[in-house]
Amino acid sequence: MIRSEVHPEQGILVTKNLTKIFGERVALDNVSAAIEQGKTTAIIGQSGCGKTVFMKHLIVLERPTEGEVFFRGQRIDRLGNHELVGIRTHFGFCFQMGALFDSLTVYENIIFPIQQHREITDFKALGELVKHKLALVGMDGYQHQYPANLSGGQKKRVALARAIALNPEVILYDEPTTGLDPVTSDIINELIIKLQKELQITSVVVTHDMKSAYKIADRIIMLHHGKMVADGDAEHIRNHPSEIVRQFIEGRVSEADLAALRLGGTKFPTQFQPEDFTGS
Amino acid sequence: MVLVIWQKVVRGVEHLGRFSRFCGSAFAAMGASIAHPKTYPLVWTQMNTIGVKSVPVIMATGAFVGMILAVQAYNQLAAMGLEERLGVLINIAVVKEFGPVLAAVMLAGRVGGALTAELGTMNVTEQIAAVESMGTDPIKYLVSPRVLACLLLTPVLIVYADLLGILGGYFVSVIQFKINSGAYWDYSAIGVEMWDVATGILKGFFFGGAIALISCYKGFTCREGAQGVGEACTEAFVGCFISILALNYIFAVILDAVYKTFWPLRPLI
Repeated sequence: MIRSEVHPEQGILVTKNLTKIFGERVALDNVSAAIEQGKTTAIIGQSGCGKTVFMKHLIVLERPTEGEVFFRGQRIDRLGNHELVGIRTHFGFCFQMGALFDSLTVYENIIFPIQQHREITDFKALGELVKHKLALVGMDGYQHQYPANLSGGQKKRVALARAIALNPEVILYDEPTTGLDPVTSDIINELIIKLQKELQITSVVVTHDMKSAYKIADRIIMLHHGKMVADGDAEHIRNHPSEIVRQFIEGRVSEADLAALRLGGTKFPTQFQPEDFTGS
Repeated sequence: MVLVIWQKVVRGVEHLGRFSRFCGSAFAAMGASIAHPKTYPLVWTQMNTIGVKSVPVIMATGAFVGMILAVQAYNQLAAMGLEERLGVLINIAVVKEFGPVLAAVMLAGRVGGALTAELGTMNVTEQIAAVESMGTDPIKYLVSPRVLACLLLTPVLIVYADLLGILGGYFVSVIQFKINSGAYWDYSAIGVEMWDVATGILKGFFFGGAIALISCYKGFTCREGAQGVGEACTEAFVGCFISILALNYIFAVILDAVYKTFWPLRPLI
């Protein structure tokens, strides 16, 4: 199901032969993908495979070494920062650790994007809007708290409320369930589904949590060492013939990794003692 | 060995290029900020943090400088019977060099370190990327108010340092060493010109700009982790300190040449 050719109009967000090289490390290698409007697309893969780098290219927080990025058919990777302002207001970005501004309250965090792009005259209506956005993520009543007083899950929910402040067309989630307990993870999953259904938002979710990916995604793309190795719905991924894909979705360690661990020669019988390092 | 030196030179030039671009963006953003009153509250907030809260420490620095100069210079002048001219020496040293330079060094430590740590932490916790992702230029939102506040308030802080330096020197000279108060002020008024005071304050704009730009740049480019932020703070302070001294030397040469062009040499004693 991996598309060899993509066209700029094929989806709301399209990457064409996207390649990113940091120094001598190839983070993305010729990735072509079309993100469909109104659907939730999960990007899966091992840590360091280029998932987050890929997502940052979608909003041009990173510029490609080679290749192109299109939003609604318009090429955006070469736009200047000034021209990107208008484009970025169509996006909401939920960062891995929330990235809430810790010098601002929850209320101030949520009005931040609104303040930046709209002339605010009616502060009462703004307060109602913030209340509504927070209620959507189950955080109404926390307006005057600072991020330092919130738990990890609460921070992610507030970050989600901030991401939808400008009613974006696309929300990008960077590992939304990482570091959360299973119940809170499921709450976040339900929120992503709710937002997609109620607001018809296009979602791109970077994750390595397969349970979450199966639950929320209409389509799953897998990256491995910067290359796209699988692309399809949950059923397609579950029955994928590739050993790399099966190994990842089943959470199995490979034979090569096991062999490397054995070669490492851990000193099991006695373990290391402080005397081993004193030279006496 | 040659290769290592060459690589360091290349890296240094790269850093200089990146810093120059950063400064260019910061100045462009400052121009835009001045034209948009909507951004003024951000500048007021930074002025309070950077300027108002630095006043006590800057005043203490200035006072001690004046007092130390009086203690150090008194014996030499008294041996020649010139103790009444102590005021010229103290006040010219304070308003021309010690006031501006030490106030700037103090600011580099108090404000520069805080700016780098704050922006560095925002960088590693992706808060700067968050600002950018919401369609706001982080240089305009984060750097421009801080640089503007430093540019505008460093000269004012230098006035405080000068004032307390003059008063500190006066109290030690007149109260401790019993120098005649009228003679102390008369000689000071003859020796210290408006040019000396004005050039000392003028330096403040450049010192303030250097402190804010270097500290913000280091915060924006700091590596991840606690060690990265710590290293960035150290590099920022060292960079600010060296820049203040280098700028001061350049100013000394230029201002001396300008003075000599228009006025004759004035003997102080």
